Amino acid sequence: MSLVFQIASIIAPLFVIAGIGYVWGRLGKPFDTTLVGMLTLNFGVPALIFSTLTNLEVSPGEFGEITGIFGIFLFANLVIGALLLKIFNLEIGAFLPALSFPNNGNMGLPLCLFAFGDVGLALGISVFVLMSTANVTIGFAFASGKWSLASMFKTPFLWIIAAALIFMVTETTPPRWVANTAEIIGGMSIPLMLVALGVSLSRLEVSDFQQSFWLALARLGIGFGLGIFLAIIFELEGVARGVLILQCAMPTAVMNYLLAARFDRQASGVAGIVVVSTFMSLATLPFLMLFVLSGW
Amino acid sequence: MAIFAELAAIVLPVFFCAGIGLFWTRTGHKFDSDLVTTLVFKIAVPCLIIATFSKIKLEFSVIAEIALAATVIYLVTALIAAIVLRLFRLPFPAYLPSMIFPLVGSMGLPVSLFAFGEKGLALALVFFTLGAVGTFTVGAAIASGRLSLGKLVREPALWAAAIAMVLMWLDISLPKWIYDSTKLLGGMAFPLQLIALGCSLGRFQISSLPRGIGLGLFRLGVGFLIGWGVAEYFALEGIVRAIVILQSSMPVAVSNYLFAVIYKREPEEVASMVLISTGMSVVTLPLLLLYLL
Repeated sequence: MSLVFQIASIIAPLFVIAGIGYVWGRLGKPFDTTLVGMLTLNFGVPALIFSTLTNLEVSPGEFGEITGIFGIFLFANLVIGALLLKIFNLEIGAFLPALSFPNNGNMGLPLCLFAFGDVGLALGISVFVLMSTANVTIGFAFASGKWSLASMFKTPFLWIIAAALIFMVTETTPPRWVANTAEIIGGMSIPLMLVALGVSLSRLEVSDFQQSFWLALARLGIGFGLGIFLAIIFELEGVARGVLILQCAMPTAVMNYLLAARFDRQASGVAGIVVVSTFMSLATLPFLMLFVLSGW
Repeated sequence: MAIFAELAAIVLPVFFCAGIGLFWTRTGHKFDSDLVTTLVFKIAVPCLIIATFSKIKLEFSVIAEIALAATVIYLVTALIAAIVLRLFRLPFPAYLPSMIFPLVGSMGLPVSLFAFGEKGLALALVFFTLGAVGTFTVGAAIASGRLSLGKLVREPALWAAAIAMVLMWLDISLPKWIYDSTKLLGGMAFPLQLIALGCSLGRFQISSLPRGIGLGLFRLGVGFLIGWGVAEYFALEGIVRAIVILQSSMPVAVSNYLFAVIYKREPEEVASMVLISTGMSVVTLPLLLLYLL
């Protein structure tokens, strides 16, 4: 009983905050997703990454370990996803990113934070950083049909991580004004991302429910299966295990829709996967949390 | 040297965040202030109030003390400001609200937090809530020419303050999920407020420099003196004293500009007062903190 209660109290803030965004969008109030996206991606998230990583909750070793394992996950997911799309004769350029890149930011980070505290957030962020880098490079390449490494250096992530790594490796803390600044700016990222997620969900439409349903199921299923498999192989325990499985099993990231829309790659199909997988995960989330928290 | 690091830790985050907003508008990016203001005042600030007061339990005598001091400060400032404006033959509707109401939210709250911790924030929120009540009743009445309580009743910050008081009075602890939600949403308040402040400053222009400097000095200087005098009169001590003086010495609040725009009361003049007094506070704020710490 207490576990059920614990799970409810982990998931509830997510529903409340994303719900605000959903109602906002349903009421038809203007919400400038570009502004919010730019504020979070250029300032909020880099500040959150910096302040979480420099709080010395994780060592560079743990940071490297979970990031490396998540890299293997992304690779395996891309391979399995490509095979699956090939078998069912679906366009790889359009749907592979949606099958492979989970919503590690808007949805994964608050869950990691509420389920596993600051250590969970730090590990969750390591994973999120790798995923978003992959999303803007590999995802961009699939959607646009050409490689562009420049986009990787345009996002402030890499620079911020490099700065944070200096403090992590030397085991020093940044000056207090830097830490304070990063902390308040970082504080806006998770709520803004969740509200924006709610707004996006209220605006996106599902055109082909059947296709969306099966691809969404594939995203959640492949992610969950690979997450457990890798956690066993690498003998992860405790928070690292929970964060890895949780992050692997997140629904499709909204970013995939933005890329698909920008390059006109079956954007409505991708939107369907985002919506269906997110709503599906609302139903599967309690069981997923039960699984990672009880340590089965 | 250590005191410089401490001052930097309090002041720089505030100016840095406002700087982001300034940079944002100056580089020609679009900024939907309606969206951000709604997020801040309808969602983030009310949540911040509830989250802060469910963690920091203040005694009702302390709340009453700071609320009384804040009320007296607002009244005395209004009186002196009215006399000064009459002497210089300046119209009340345009200038009076800006002289009375300081930037107790976007600047006062984060500075209080960084300088005096979460207890400082809780105390500063009491001052802020009264300021919000004043702005939406008296401030709006002076600018519009008639008193309306409609705005006040629809102000979520006030509802949040009422809920926080009831919870404290009944000694109820919020369930973890409500606390987590409000805490997370409240985290948007400072960065968004400061970025919005910077964006406004980036758009404002100085219309009349001598008058702007004069009125800006009034806000900062006379505000400080009144805050200090009231703190002495009520024999306030420690953090309570510091927060009262700090909040009373803030530059002109941006909300005054919003009312000036709505009721067409020389918004350019108000904008220039906001800009000049905030600019001056870059110098006066560290000095003030040096005195208070």
